[in-house]
Formats: sequence, structure tokens, C-alpha cells
Amino acid sequence: MSNIDRRTLVRGSLAAMVAGAAFSRAALAQSSEPILLGVSGPLTGPNAQYGAQWKQGFDLALDEIHAAGGINGRKLAYQFEDSQSDPRQSVAIAQKFVSDPRIVLELGDFSSPASMAASPIYQRGGLVQFGFTNSHPDFTKGGDFMWSTSVSQADEQPLLASYAVRRLGLKKLAVLHLNTDWGRTSRDHFVKAAKDYGAEIAVTEGYIAEERDFRSTLVRVRDANPDGLILISYYSDGALIARQARQVGLKQTICAASSVYSPKFLELGGEAVEDVHLGTRYFPQDPRPEVKKFIAGFKAKYNGQEPDAFNAYSYDAMNMAASVVKIGGTDRRAIRDAFAKVKDVSSVIFGQATFDVESRRVKGAMNAELVVRKGQFALWDGKPT
Amino acid sequence: MSSWLDYTINGLIVGNVYALVAVGLALIFGVSRLINFAQGSIYLVGAYIGWVAVVQLHTPLPLTIIVVAATAAVVGLILERFGLRPLQNSVRIAPLLATIGISFVLDQLVMLTFSPNPRALPSQLPDIRFQLGGGTIGPLDLLIAGVGITSALLLFVFLRYSKLGWAVRAASQDRDAAMQMGVDVNRVNQAVFGIAAALGGVSGMLVGMYYNQIDTAMSLQATLKGVVAEVVGGAGNVPGAVIGSLLLGLVESYGVAVFGTSYRNLFAFLLLVVVLVLRPNGLFASARQAPPEPLTGTFIAPSRPVRIPRWALAVAAAAFAILPLFPVSFYVLQTLINAWLLGMLALSLTLVAGTIGQVSLGHAALLAIGAYTSALLSLALSVPVGLAVIGGGLMSAALGTLLISPSFRLRGHYVSIATLAIGEIVSLVILNWESVTRGPIGISGIPPLSLFGYDLISPTSIYWFSLVVMVALALLQGRLLTSHLGRSFRAIRDDDIAARAYGLSLNRYKSLAFIFGGFAAGVSGGIAAHLYSYINHETFNTQQSILALTVVILGGLGNVVGAIVGSVALVGLPEVFRIAAEYRILIYGVVLLLLVRFRPQGLLGTI
Repeated sequence: MSNIDRRTLVRGSLAAMVAGAAFSRAALAQSSEPILLGVSGPLTGPNAQYGAQWKQGFDLALDEIHAAGGINGRKLAYQFEDSQSDPRQSVAIAQKFVSDPRIVLELGDFSSPASMAASPIYQRGGLVQFGFTNSHPDFTKGGDFMWSTSVSQADEQPLLASYAVRRLGLKKLAVLHLNTDWGRTSRDHFVKAAKDYGAEIAVTEGYIAEERDFRSTLVRVRDANPDGLILISYYSDGALIARQARQVGLKQTICAASSVYSPKFLELGGEAVEDVHLGTRYFPQDPRPEVKKFIAGFKAKYNGQEPDAFNAYSYDAMNMAASVVKIGGTDRRAIRDAFAKVKDVSSVIFGQATFDVESRRVKGAMNAELVVRKGQFALWDGKPT
Repeated sequence: MSSWLDYTINGLIVGNVYALVAVGLALIFGVSRLINFAQGSIYLVGAYIGWVAVVQLHTPLPLTIIVVAATAAVVGLILERFGLRPLQNSVRIAPLLATIGISFVLDQLVMLTFSPNPRALPSQLPDIRFQLGGGTIGPLDLLIAGVGITSALLLFVFLRYSKLGWAVRAASQDRDAAMQMGVDVNRVNQAVFGIAAALGGVSGMLVGMYYNQIDTAMSLQATLKGVVAEVVGGAGNVPGAVIGSLLLGLVESYGVAVFGTSYRNLFAFLLLVVVLVLRPNGLFASARQAPPEPLTGTFIAPSRPVRIPRWALAVAAAAFAILPLFPVSFYVLQTLINAWLLGMLALSLTLVAGTIGQVSLGHAALLAIGAYTSALLSLALSVPVGLAVIGGGLMSAALGTLLISPSFRLRGHYVSIATLAIGEIVSLVILNWESVTRGPIGISGIPPLSLFGYDLISPTSIYWFSLVVMVALALLQGRLLTSHLGRSFRAIRDDDIAARAYGLSLNRYKSLAFIFGGFAAGVSGGIAAHLYSYINHETFNTQQSILALTVVILGGLGNVVGAIVGSVALVGLPEVFRIAAEYRILIYGVVLLLLVRFRPQGLLGTI
């Protein structure tokens, strides 16, 4: 359920109506009703797991925001509408949010087709669409109400290429990527950067998200004779590829994009992901205070569960939303303008996040070079594997 | 060439995995002539029960298998008793829809109980690897092969030599005759569903262990691949299903070897279409074998349609037309726009599936063709949007009819499976034909709808536009149905041999139906493209095809008004159930099941 229980909401509004005889409703809203954000994302359907992870990050951030006194004394809440990452439903949700005066800002959706189909409605309706996992290069081109804290692949992939080529000394690479807009854009940025650093790209293979069997793909990879495998994958498919690579007898170094950074990657991959290298935006032993606070808070709230990349994205997004609302208040247009004003918001992914007003994205994601050692993520010590 | 040996081995290994699902599907199809779309869900249930047994209860492997088989069998029995048996005397298509509804419900129950996060399902076998070619195989590969082949053999022996097996085969050939000979058909069905479900559950668990990963999205994929394998081997033929699965695995593996990973599923579905066209009964059917579908049209039974007086329709149309003049929220209008767009697709499908009897499961492909054509015409060639949408409709009509024409000689379920495959092929071509479709990046910045130079941007204007287009298409189709042409269509549906005897050219009439239907679907896709401004290969997916078919069956096959009522219901219900958050798709599935149970001929009846 969304952070404010619907029944509470209904009861709250009933109470407000009753009280309306004595007070003006607006005045009451000023004092007691929470500031409401709309979230459009998958709670059911094939991407439901990501919606569930979003909620964990949102709820943790809200706990901290409220403990610190809320938004100028008012609470912040969100209304999560399930889109199943389906453009038909995300456009209806967009109209719902745009025509609901209580919603001051929208977060999501998850997939590019669902998010970008809704963009024209948010743009015309004058409600900010804050897409924090939308890496599609055209997302923020939808209009000046589209803002994103998704790490730009033009930023991230050269870091991964530098790790693989310069630090690990790999010279001939095989790139396996999810054949989605994200995977494809990432691959192109990676290949360009890796070539600039002097590596050769032996083969690139795109696979669809539902794929589970990679053995034949890996034979192709083996025949190309690379000295390293690059996985532009999410954690579940990344784990499958790592396992099957070992089964078909590939012993090359594996280096993966930050999206595999999840305790689930270790759980699903088992021994096969030992010695897998990955770049991430933060890591458990990170000395940065915002990271320590995030990890400790997350473990305390969710029974010792380790957070992953999507938890961090949504946690950061809610904190960013709070900072923006603090500046912009509850006026939608003022909130849009506040995105350009907000500066150095404490962020797990970026350290300090400030929007580039031109691209409406945030640059300068943090980078850490990790390796899986004894079933745990650890900072790479520079030793070859 | 050691690589080819490796590709062959890998193909057989994955074929092995497909075989487990295909055998269960084949068994059920053999008896009840039903593609059980819930088989993938039972597979999912089995995987999660396996997880509970292994991770929570720490049961040893033999006990785990027994627990999973027993629980899955119980689920199968419940499904048969309460989901399918009440429908046995109704339209033959109703159980198909029921299995879709059941799969919604089961998938959602698993998701709500276990959360959608993927889980690791550790294998309980010793981790020994045997060198085979360049790679290795483990004990699980052998166990999966053992289970697949043994169960196929056991079933073959059971069907051929045991008394209950004879009863099963008798019931599959002629239910009524079997009943007259004293066969307890219900008991036979129970036995079959119990066995198939037990097998499905165990296979889900084994495959979960094989990949050390289970998640709630595995159900639809398992069903899709299982159906392909089963049909290649010959629907209802249990040993054939195993061989079909291995063949499918090999074709995929060689496809990857020659063309690369992104072409993998393209070969799976091409194999299916080729087999269906050349040998519609599957590779292993004997020449003398009777056609698996009845000769005359009991697939779609006639029923008495609900007559709605014209004035009532006119009043309803007028009421919807003036709706935006009242203070309704844009959210309501947007939901209705979605309903009108789905309505156009449903009009197309109800003509093709209901009126002429070609039940298509790949109708989203027509949307995609229309959407891409219209988007590219307006972006690359600067064609005005209004004309581009019509261009999308025409392209959909032409290309859709051309693509579907190989399946004109098929009947009943086989048409559905062929169209399912053609739908997947279109989506994979869109993904891979990058120079035209921009591949996975998709097409962004599609201009908004406009007509004679005026942009239609406000929800109100889009609402009116889509309503007018849909009503125009509906009127045209209504006129068509009462004409000579409409009667010819229905004659072909009801008895194609009699129709041919009267001199009707089947292929020509089927083409005409697909041309008209393709146009309506293409226009719907074109409008959607300009409405969304961004489309990619996932925008129009298999779920859309299944939704469209659900709408058509719910509204009443061939029923124009029914298609529209069904669209409003199936777009509206999930929105109404929003209040239930995560539970809404579960409730939707249950409502769907109840509708099928109590109104199998559809809300407004078949015309």
C-alpha cells in the first residue's frame, strides 16, 4: 500500500468535509494534510519487483524526512498507482495525477515506453515528471517538465570501460547486453570508450529480457576468443550469464555494469559470481556519511536486508523530491523552477546532486570499483583475479 | 567443428527443459482439446512450493519432488473441478479463456505470497560436472532429461495399455460416445489434469533449480515455449512433444550460432509457422490420422444474441459524445480513450475471430504495424498525421493479410497458435530491423494527432476523435455483417466444407476479413503512436493480444456492440479496482472467471 493508507485518506477527507463547516478546507489542508506526490510504477506484471524495491527506498527516505521535521512542518506522502509498466495505464494515471490538485509532483514510470508515453500529458498538464530510472537519452527531451536523476550512460559506461581496460588490463572484450533501450545505449557508450582506451571489441550480443538460456550465446563468445566478458545486465540475468559462462567452460574475467549491484546477484549467482568485477555508485564500506546513513537505516527498517541499486535510486529520488518541494512549495510551476534551483542535495548515488539545467539531468555519479570476494562485495584491492 | 558439437549439446539441453512443460500441455490437449494457458502458472506454483520445501523445510530431494508433485496435482484437480468442468457443455472457446483467467489468478497469488523479487532455488544434487564437448553438464541436466523422457514413456504406455488410458483416448476422440460406453469422462479429466499438473509443478521446480532462480514472470514464457514445442511435435502427441522440444532447442541454438543472440526466438516461431503450414498435425502425425478439430463449427457455438434496439445504441452513442461537455475529469476521458482504441482492435478481432472463425492470438502485431507505419510516415516523410494514420491502417491491412495468409488452411486452435507465432515474429523483426525501426531504442518524438492542420492535444479533442473513428468503423462493420458478404463469412465459420460446396472461395473471404480487420487495428495502433509520442517493440506485446481476445469473447464473438462493451469493461475494471492496489489484477482475474462461468457465450452473445 502507498505510504498513506487509503482508508486514512478517505477518512481524512471525510473529516475535512465535516470540519469544512467551521473552517475553510484549504486552511485545514495547509496545516494537517500531507503534501502528496504521485508515483506511477509497476506493482504487478513482469516488472513488479522493481516497484516493490522503489517502495522500500521511498518509505525509508520518508521516515528520515519526517524525523527531521517534514517539509516546513508538513508531512510528505505518496500515492502509488500501479501501471504494470504498460503505456496504456501510465497515460491514464498521468491524466489522473494531472487532474488531481493535491498531487504536486510525479515520480516514474519504470520502463521507457510507459514513461515516455505519459510525458506529453505531464508536459501539457504542467506537472513535473521526475523519472529517476529513465536512462533513455530522449526522456528529458520530452519537455521542460521532464527531469531525471537516472545516471547518464554517457557518464557511467566510460567508468566501466576504464575499470575493465585500464585497471584490469583487458584487451579483447565480449559485450553481452540487454537488448532494451537502456542496454543498447549503454553498449554504444561502452564500446566507444573501450576503443578509445585501446581495447578491441571481439563480439557484442544483445539478448531479450525474458531470456534464461545463454549457453549457445556463450559458445559464440568463446569462439571470438576474448580475454574479458562485459555484462550490461540487471542482477537476475547477470547472475544467469555468470553461472552458465562457468558451465560452458569460460574462465575469463567478468566485469559488469553497476545495475547488477544487489545482494540478489550474490544469492542467485552463488559461486559463479565469485571474482566478478563491477563498478558501482556506492558500496557497503563506503566512508561517505550519506551512504552509511542509508545502509544502516535500510538494514534497521527491513530486518537486516542489504539495499541494492534500485533501493538507492528511489531513496535518492524521494530525498530529491523533498528538497525540491521545500524550495518550490506546492505550486506545480514553482516546483518545476525549483529543480533548476536546488543545489548539492545529499545523495547516495551522486554524493551531492545538482541538476544540469540544460539537460535536466544530474552529472557526476560517484564511482567505486568492486569485486565479489568470498560471496561478498568488496572494494577491489588491485590484485588480478 | 567442435563449436557445432557444443551448439548441438546446448540445444538439446535447453530442449530438455522445454520438454517438461510441453509434455503436460500435450497430455491435456490430447484429452480435452484445450491449450491450457494455466500450465505455466502451475509450473510457477511448483517452483515456489519447491522453494518452500528446500529452503524453509530442508526436505531431501526425493521428498521435495513428492511434495511438489502432490501439491501441484491438488491445484490441478481444483482447477479442473471448479474452473473447467462447469464449462464442459458450453462454447469450446470458453475453457480457453478460463485457463487465461486462472493463470492470472495463480500468478498473482504467488506474487502476493512470495513478493515479486526473484529467489534462488539451490539444487539439492551434488555439484559434479561432466565434461561434454567444450562445456560441462551436471546431474540436474540428467535428472531433467530423465524426468522428461520417463514421463513421456510412462504416459505413452499408460494411454496405450491401461484401462484408464483407453478411457482417456476414447474421451478425447468422442466425449459423448465414450460416455455412452460407460466411461466416466469426469474421472478421466481429473486424472489427466492431476497428472499434467504434477508434472508441471515438478518441472517448474527442476527448471528453477537448474537456473538457481525463480520469479513470477517465468510463467508466461514457459507456456509460450511449451506451446510451440508441443505443436511442432503434434498437438496431443506426448512422445512427439519431447521430440518437438528437442528440435525447438536445436533450432534456437543453431539460430544463435549463425545469426546471433537477438534472433533466437525468431527461429523458434518461424519453425512453428513452417511446421504448421507444411504439416498442420505436427511432425509425427500419421497421414491417416483424423483431423484433430471437429469438421464443423462447434469451436464457436451459435447463441441467441442480445438484441439492443437501435434507438438505445443511438442514445448511448450520443451520451458518450456529449460526456466531455459535463465536468468529468480528464482521467475518465483518458480511460475511455484507451477503451475506444482497444475497441477498434476488438472490432477487428471480433470480425476475424468471431465472424469468420479465425481466432487470432497475435493481433497486437497489427497494432504495431499500424503504429510504426504511421509514426515513420509522419516523422521521416513528413506526411500529415491524419493521412499517416490512414497509411498505418492500409499497411496493417496489406502486410497483416499477407503474413497471416499461410495460416488460412488451418482450423480451430491451430489458427490461434500460428497467429501467436506470427505476432511474436513481427515484434522480433521490429526489434532487429534497426535501420527502419530503430530497434530497441524505439521511435520518440512522434508528432501529436492533428487533423487539417489543427493539433488534437487536449484529452477532450482526442476523446472525440477516437470515438468518432471507432463509431464509424463499428457502423461500417455492422453494415458489413448484415450484407451478403457478412453471411458468407458466417457460413465459412459455421461449416467451411458446406461453404466451399456452395462455391465460396475460402481464402478470398478470409483475406477480405483480414483486410478490413487489419485496417481497423492499424488505425488504432496509428492513433496510439501519436498519442504516446514514443513507441518501441514492447509497446504492443503478447499481453495486448490476449487482452483483445478476452474482450472479444467477453463481448460475444462477432458481436460489434459486444466488442465495444467488452473494451469499456476490460479497460474500466482494472482502473476501478485501483483502490485494491496490488490485489487489483487478482480481482480482475476472478471477475473474468466468473463472467466466463456464467456467461460463456459473452455478455451480448455470438452473432
